[in-house]
Amino acid sequence: MDRFRIAYSTAGLTFLILAVWWVASAYPAKDDSKTPGISPERVAGFVHAVLQAHRTIYTTHIVNRLQEKGVVMAVEHWEQENALPLPAQFLQHSGRLVAESGQGIRYRLIGLSPIYQRNAPATDFERKGLEFLNRSPDAPITGIVSSGRKQYFQAIYPDRAVSSACINCHNSHPLSPKRDFKINDVMGGIAITIPIE
Amino acid sequence: MTKATQQPSPVTRGWRLQTKLIVSMLLVGVVPLLVGLGMAFWQGSQEIHEVSGESFKALATEAARKLDLLVGEEIARTSRIAADPMIVRELERRRDRNLKPESGRYPIKQDLQLKWESKDPATVKMITENPVANLLREYYTGARSEPDELIPQVVRGATKMLFVTDTQGHLAAALTDKPPFANGEFLWWKGTFNKGIGQLYIEDVYFDDLAQTYAFSISLPVMDSLRYEAIGVIHRVIDAKEFFGPSTHPIRFGKTGHVMLIDHRGIVVSCPILPTGVRLSDASIIPLVTQRESGWTSAPSDGHGGRSSSIIGFSPLPETSRNTNGALEVGSWHTFVWQSSDELFAPIKHLFTWMTVFGSIAVALLATLGYLAAKRIVTPVRQLQQAAQSIGRGELRQSIEIKTGDELETLAEEFNRMNRQLEAAFTGLTDQVTLKTQEVQYLQRSTDQILDAVPTPILIVDDQEEVLYVNRTGREAFALTEESSAGGRLFDMLPVEPSQQQHLRQELWSHQTTGMAPSLAGEPPAAVEHIRDPLVPETATVHRSRQAELQLGAHLYRYEWFRVTGRPGQSDRVGLVLRDTTDESRMQEKLVQAEKSGSLGILTAGIGHELNNPLFGIMGLGEALQDECDPARVKSYAQDIIHHGKRMAAIIRDFTGIAAREISDQRQTVHLEREMDQALAAVMVGLDTSQLTIERTYAGDTLVMALPDQLKQAFSNIMTNALHAMKNQGTLRLSTTVGEKTVVATIADTGPGIPKNHLSKIFDPFFTTKGQGEGSGLGLTVARRIIRKFGGDIRLESVEGAGTSCMITLPLMAPASSSKEASWTASESRTLPQVSRS
Repeated sequence: MDRFRIAYSTAGLTFLILAVWWVASAYPAKDDSKTPGISPERVAGFVHAVLQAHRTIYTTHIVNRLQEKGVVMAVEHWEQENALPLPAQFLQHSGRLVAESGQGIRYRLIGLSPIYQRNAPATDFERKGLEFLNRSPDAPITGIVSSGRKQYFQAIYPDRAVSSACINCHNSHPLSPKRDFKINDVMGGIAITIPIE
Repeated sequence: MTKATQQPSPVTRGWRLQTKLIVSMLLVGVVPLLVGLGMAFWQGSQEIHEVSGESFKALATEAARKLDLLVGEEIARTSRIAADPMIVRELERRRDRNLKPESGRYPIKQDLQLKWESKDPATVKMITENPVANLLREYYTGARSEPDELIPQVVRGATKMLFVTDTQGHLAAALTDKPPFANGEFLWWKGTFNKGIGQLYIEDVYFDDLAQTYAFSISLPVMDSLRYEAIGVIHRVIDAKEFFGPSTHPIRFGKTGHVMLIDHRGIVVSCPILPTGVRLSDASIIPLVTQRESGWTSAPSDGHGGRSSSIIGFSPLPETSRNTNGALEVGSWHTFVWQSSDELFAPIKHLFTWMTVFGSIAVALLATLGYLAAKRIVTPVRQLQQAAQSIGRGELRQSIEIKTGDELETLAEEFNRMNRQLEAAFTGLTDQVTLKTQEVQYLQRSTDQILDAVPTPILIVDDQEEVLYVNRTGREAFALTEESSAGGRLFDMLPVEPSQQQHLRQELWSHQTTGMAPSLAGEPPAAVEHIRDPLVPETATVHRSRQAELQLGAHLYRYEWFRVTGRPGQSDRVGLVLRDTTDESRMQEKLVQAEKSGSLGILTAGIGHELNNPLFGIMGLGEALQDECDPARVKSYAQDIIHHGKRMAAIIRDFTGIAAREISDQRQTVHLEREMDQALAAVMVGLDTSQLTIERTYAGDTLVMALPDQLKQAFSNIMTNALHAMKNQGTLRLSTTVGEKTVVATIADTGPGIPKNHLSKIFDPFFTTKGQGEGSGLGLTVARRIIRKFGGDIRLESVEGAGTSCMITLPLMAPASSSKEASWTASESRTLPQVSRS
């Protein structure tokens, strides 16, 4: 816990310094201390809220209804089978589009027992964050991470099994390592990464 | 019996019965056979299509999964290299170094590139011997793999190049010195790096100049430790044939059946038959087999150069296709399962061959059996046909022997029965015909005999004036033999003058054409015909003899045409009957003479008788006068003598009145009514007419041709009789009625009438009902003779007790006469009866 606290305080401090530097560089003519800022936690919170809302609407109002009416199903190989992407795939693909847009912000779904290894945690921070969220899934894990000389703010939000479709797929997929998910279990997290200049 | 027809049996038109039977049996058998075989063949080939297609599809799907896993394994193996922390760290370091905007970096890179391309040993060593390259080598040789996860030898051999680039595409590490230094412009690099996001990129098969082979490549991004962005690309070039060959080539079935792998352009990635890198021979089947879902199709060609229709199973590689050329939309790989159609359809062809063989055998059998069956049916039918022909000719003598035990046998029996009945019927008919012929001959003979017995010549002439028959009298008359009688020309037989010939010909023609019996005389009957007075010498005989009479030599013939109905279909003929009147006319003349003499005798006797009575009275009175002295008596006697004398004078006058005036035969136009009035006036002289009423009802001014004195005489005689019958009391009615061509003058009295027994004799000469000396009995005789001479006639109608009417008919003269006497009665009333009393 101490380590987290140190990490938090370090991150917060770093963020503060960066924010001040960013504001100063953005508005060089104005008074430094008075420039309004926005914390990366809040930015990540906004993005997460939007992501959640979009995926919920896609899941409940599009996929469920189309499947109930028998119009089209959501399947994993949706491209070959001319079907709908699964809600998880929806989020992954939208993440790719966001990345391709060049805005710098990235997000992806990660889990400790993923069907595909590419969705496993890439770093210790991610793995530990997920482990922490498994235990106390109430608040996101945030922190500053670095790749070489590059530094990023990363927030990991817990992702729960909100519909039976999620656990059915993960419990039955041949490549799935864990097959005892239940509704409302934390299946993984949404990792949002924002570069810190 | 009719003539037997000896013509040969009629040639049967069209197909004969036997042919028809065979053909119909063949049709009945062959058509269903062929239809059945055809349907079996069609159905069989359909099912072979279906079964082959489904199994090809299954095989293609299975092969696709297998190849997908193969590629997937290779990707996983490569991604393990890409995720190696050492490589990540090294590439992060390179990235960070590139971030620093240091001057002279590019020249360094360019310098490096030049050195690499010129195979500068230091540079080559720097790239191929650095830690990353060493790491790659370790992975490549399998030193880094888990103990149970050795890289198969095949895969290692197939890997032609393995190298890593940095974020600019510059070569960072490589196993060999073959790879190019700058890769930033390659599609695979751009696709994999993907603006730093990074994605798996499987390149379609291409000819790699550096590796000198057809290859495909797998490129993976090397992500930073956060998986935030790509910091390099690991690129692997793999020989397609070497990599996929071991998986696809062993899958063989039959002689030609195999599995191949193609990309979305139809270029062969791996095939046991076709070389890698060539395109399918038929571009039109590429869209059919590169669909997103697995299936099978019946394509018009096989893609291997064959143009025969083929069954092709296909299936996409699901995971590999997702990443070929970066996305599913721009490329996909497919398995292609095919077997040569010759081999595939061989069972059907065998089936077809066998069906053809069996079909031919069946047709041959059908034809043979049909021939035998038809022969069995046709032979008795032909026998029957011949029998029917014999019956038709009346030649069948023995019965038909057919023992088939079916309807044909019954039919043969019927034929026999019919033949017997026909024979019987014909026998009866022959007898009847003989009988009838005899009858006809008898009739002809008797007709000939009758005609020969007729004493007048009879000729039968046809419309060509050819004499067909002459009877015996005719032959004798015209001096013909029996042989030469028929066939001659009519006018050769009858030697007549040309004018008469013409006349006869006309009559003959009118008979021929109209069939009307012409009047005996060629001329129309004269309106006014002179009655021949027996006392007047004939003057018109020459004229009459021209009519219907023929002078042939010394003989005079009367002739008559008659019509003879011709045979059916022939024109009618005309008969000519000639009657020899030579003797008859002689007799006639003798008769006339005798009649004349007889009449004179009767007349003389009558006159004598009439005159004798008064003459003897005069003679008696004369004798008495010789002795008589008494003058009174003498006077009385003298008066008696005078009376008798008068009487005699009257008799002579009567007689001479007839005979003498006939000499003057000068007829003229007279007025009938005037003559009647004058005659009445003459008759009534010296008669007591106080109790007599005369009624006149005249039609008008009627003109007739007559001698006025004689006509007057005739009327006087009739009126005298009438008045005498009425004893000068009663009514005398005179009337004239004009008809169309005649006028009728009626003199009617109211006397006692004439008894019936006297009516027939009333016109006989000297027949009288008057007392001795009162009438000569010549009055009506004379009157009739006169009237007849003028072309008229007298008729008496009498009702006993009611009176007598005498009707005198005379031919009417044309009214437009210019006679001066025509105006005589112009002032007379013609309509009202003129009653006068005198």
